[in-house]
Amino acid sequence: MNPDLDLTLQRIIRAPRASVWRAWTDPASLERWWIPAPTRCRVDRLEPRPGGALVTSMSDDGAAFAPHLDACFLVVDELDRIVFTNAIDSELRPATGSPVPMTAEVTLADHPDGTDYRLLVRHGDPTIRARHEQLGFEHGWGAVTGQLARLVESTVTA
Amino acid sequence: MAQHPAQLDSVFAALADPTRRVVLRRLGHGPASVGELATSTSITLPSFMKHIRALEASGLIHTSKVGRVRRCQLNRERFDLVEDWLSEQRRIWSDRTDRLEQFVTNPTEHP
Repeated sequence: MNPDLDLTLQRIIRAPRASVWRAWTDPASLERWWIPAPTRCRVDRLEPRPGGALVTSMSDDGAAFAPHLDACFLVVDELDRIVFTNAIDSELRPATGSPVPMTAEVTLADHPDGTDYRLLVRHGDPTIRARHEQLGFEHGWGAVTGQLARLVESTVTA
Repeated sequence: MAQHPAQLDSVFAALADPTRRVVLRRLGHGPASVGELATSTSITLPSFMKHIRALEASGLIHTSKVGRVRRCQLNRERFDLVEDWLSEQRRIWSDRTDRLEQFVTNPTEHP
C-alpha cells in the first residue's frame, strides 16, 4: 500500500454477499450502477474468470456509445475477491492506462449486518514516490493526504 | 483531473524520466541556471535542453532569460494536479460504491 498512489474504501453493505457478487458479475446488474446516471452504461464483455474480459461503454444519448473501460480480470474467487486491471486490455495486450495504469481489488466478507465490502485501487507510477522523496515537500503533501483521508472517512462510513 | 487530461498526461510523462527527476530535485532546493543544472548530468547540452523544454511544456518548471543566462524555477502548483487527480479517482470509486450499495439493497427502486 502506497498512500500516495493507492486508494482504499471500506463499507458495510446491508445486503448478502451473494447479492453484491451478482451485482459485480451479472452484466445487466453491473450496467445499473457502474456509471453515474444519466450517462448510460453498456457492458460489452464481462467474463469473471482470470484472464477474462471486462469491457464497458458509455453513452449520453443511449444511441452512440464511447469506450469506457477495456480491462481484464486477474483474480476471480467466487463470492470472495475480484481483481482487474487496465494495464492489460481485454485482448491480453499490454496497455498504458491513462494517465497511469491501475489494478482494482474488491474483497467481500460476511458481516452481521450484511457484507463487509473493501476496495483497494493501486495506481502504477514509481516516479511519484521519487517525487516526494526528492523534492522535500513531505510536509505539504502529507497535509494534503491527511485531508483526503479525513474526507474519505467522513463520506464512506455513512 | 477530468478537465485537464492532456496536462496530466504531460506531467506524468515529464516525471517518468530520471534526468528530469534529477533536475526537479535540484530545483526543489531553489532556482538554478540551465548551465548549473547541466553540470550535474553527463549528457550534452542540446540533449539536456530537450529535457528542460519538456519540463517547461509540462508546466512543472518556469524558465526566464536574464542576460545570457536562462534561469529555471519549480512551479509547485503544477504538482497539485497529481494530487487533484487522485482525489478525483477517490470520488469516482466512492460514488460508484454508493450506487452499488443502493442497487443491492433495493434493486427494484431503479427499473
